[in-house]
Amino acid sequence: MIALSHISKAFGRNQVLQDISLNVNRGEVVVILGPSGSGKTTLLRCVNYLEKPGSGQIAVGDFQVDCSRARRGDVLQLRRKTAMVFQQYNLFRHKTALENVMEALLVVKKLPAAEARKRSIALLEKVGLGAKLDEYPSRLSGGQQQRVGIARALALEPEVILFDEPTSALDPELVGEVLEVIRAIAREGITMIVVTHEMGFARDVANRVVFMDGGVIVEEGTPDEVFQHPKEERTKQFLRRITPEANYSI
Amino acid sequence: MGAPFDIGYVFSFLPKLLDTLGVTLLIVAGSLLTGIVAGFLVALPRMYKIPVLRTLSGVYLSFFRGTPILIQLFLFYYGLPEILKLVGLDLTRAPVMFFVILTYGLHTGAYAAEMIRASVEAVDRGQVEAAYAAGMTPYQAFSRIILPQALGIAVPVFSNLVIALLKDTSLAFTLGVMEMTGKAQTLGTLTQHFIETYIALAFIYLIISFTLEKMLLAAERRLTRHENREDKRESIFRLKKRGSYRTVLADINIGKGGGA
Repeated sequence: MIALSHISKAFGRNQVLQDISLNVNRGEVVVILGPSGSGKTTLLRCVNYLEKPGSGQIAVGDFQVDCSRARRGDVLQLRRKTAMVFQQYNLFRHKTALENVMEALLVVKKLPAAEARKRSIALLEKVGLGAKLDEYPSRLSGGQQQRVGIARALALEPEVILFDEPTSALDPELVGEVLEVIRAIAREGITMIVVTHEMGFARDVANRVVFMDGGVIVEEGTPDEVFQHPKEERTKQFLRRITPEANYSI
Repeated sequence: MGAPFDIGYVFSFLPKLLDTLGVTLLIVAGSLLTGIVAGFLVALPRMYKIPVLRTLSGVYLSFFRGTPILIQLFLFYYGLPEILKLVGLDLTRAPVMFFVILTYGLHTGAYAAEMIRASVEAVDRGQVEAAYAAGMTPYQAFSRIILPQALGIAVPVFSNLVIALLKDTSLAFTLGVMEMTGKAQTLGTLTQHFIETYIALAFIYLIISFTLEKMLLAAERRLTRHENREDKRESIFRLKKRGSYRTVLADINIGKGGGA
């Protein structure tokens, strides 16, 4: 349902993405792995145009846009079909947890306040924050903030949720609670593209793993294929460095 | 100089000076309004890096921040009509107040521009991305996410700006405007009780500054309440704890309470 075709992107002379094509089916969870500087976050940010791709096409659901001539209206429409969860949570600091989730429902989806409120409360309860509705982000832990971020993304009922290293900024003991929430929504069949360094998480949640390096997709396949039987030398090197135990588990 | 000191004059001058308070406050309010509009116009090209306008903004800032306000007043009052005469605009009959508010307004604008730019840039960029990612338009992101937070950040700077402006208006008398300082000069000359007039004058400025500061502090607290880590219940509780010094002295543990 999401199709990226021939996406290229350069920052100045630095070619960050080179002719990348990737399809994600409805309900699929795709995890993108790769060393830092491989372009995985940039690729994710291209999907909702936070980063403007140099060329290529992006299709989300029934909406398609050609990046070389995307207009402001196209970008807005693309963004309204996607949602993003950020590494630094990026909650609106002057709004409570509930208001953070309601904001886009009121402003973008133009729902009546009562309806937006009802839906937002249900979502916050779902991510285990039913008791923190009226707290400001400054009074929430990192894990709680990120769960509000996830509820905020879910509220938009997007075609796909983009996760940009959702647990990288968290204290180790808070990673679990966030991954648990992401696992739960993955099971509900929500389409997700996840950039992460959590190998264990990638292995149990992903339907497909994509390994990127140097701005290209080096290898993709099921978690089993990529983790247990990597074909490419670069993938093997990366896995050895990042998960020494990968060779022994399962 | 003048007559011997008599405290009675301080009190008799107060109401006379307060008669002209309106003029001072008119200059302050008019200049603030002009200044905020000018500030936005100057800050925008700098924030959005618009080529030529950005350079012009830089020149504007250098001039108004780099020269004394007194010189600016003279330049505008005596110089501007001469320049505009060349293009056929006659300002020689415009009221002095017009020049005073224009000069103070543009002067304030230079500081307001920096205040606006700094507070908008202080709002974390990630929140803007989050707003865009949710499908908000740039205008919605600005008005609903950036502006409310930038306001809270700007208030302390704005507070300084207003108080500096209030004090600077005391130079308007040099152009013959009868505001508070001008009135004080006149009263001093008439009665020869200069010290008393200046004491009364300083007292009024102090009271106004103090009131403005407190009001703006309250506004700041309200606008940044989301950054308060303690909520009200807790802070009242802590106050009580601190207030219970006597119970500590008396070695009473109120926590346990009752009997034994």
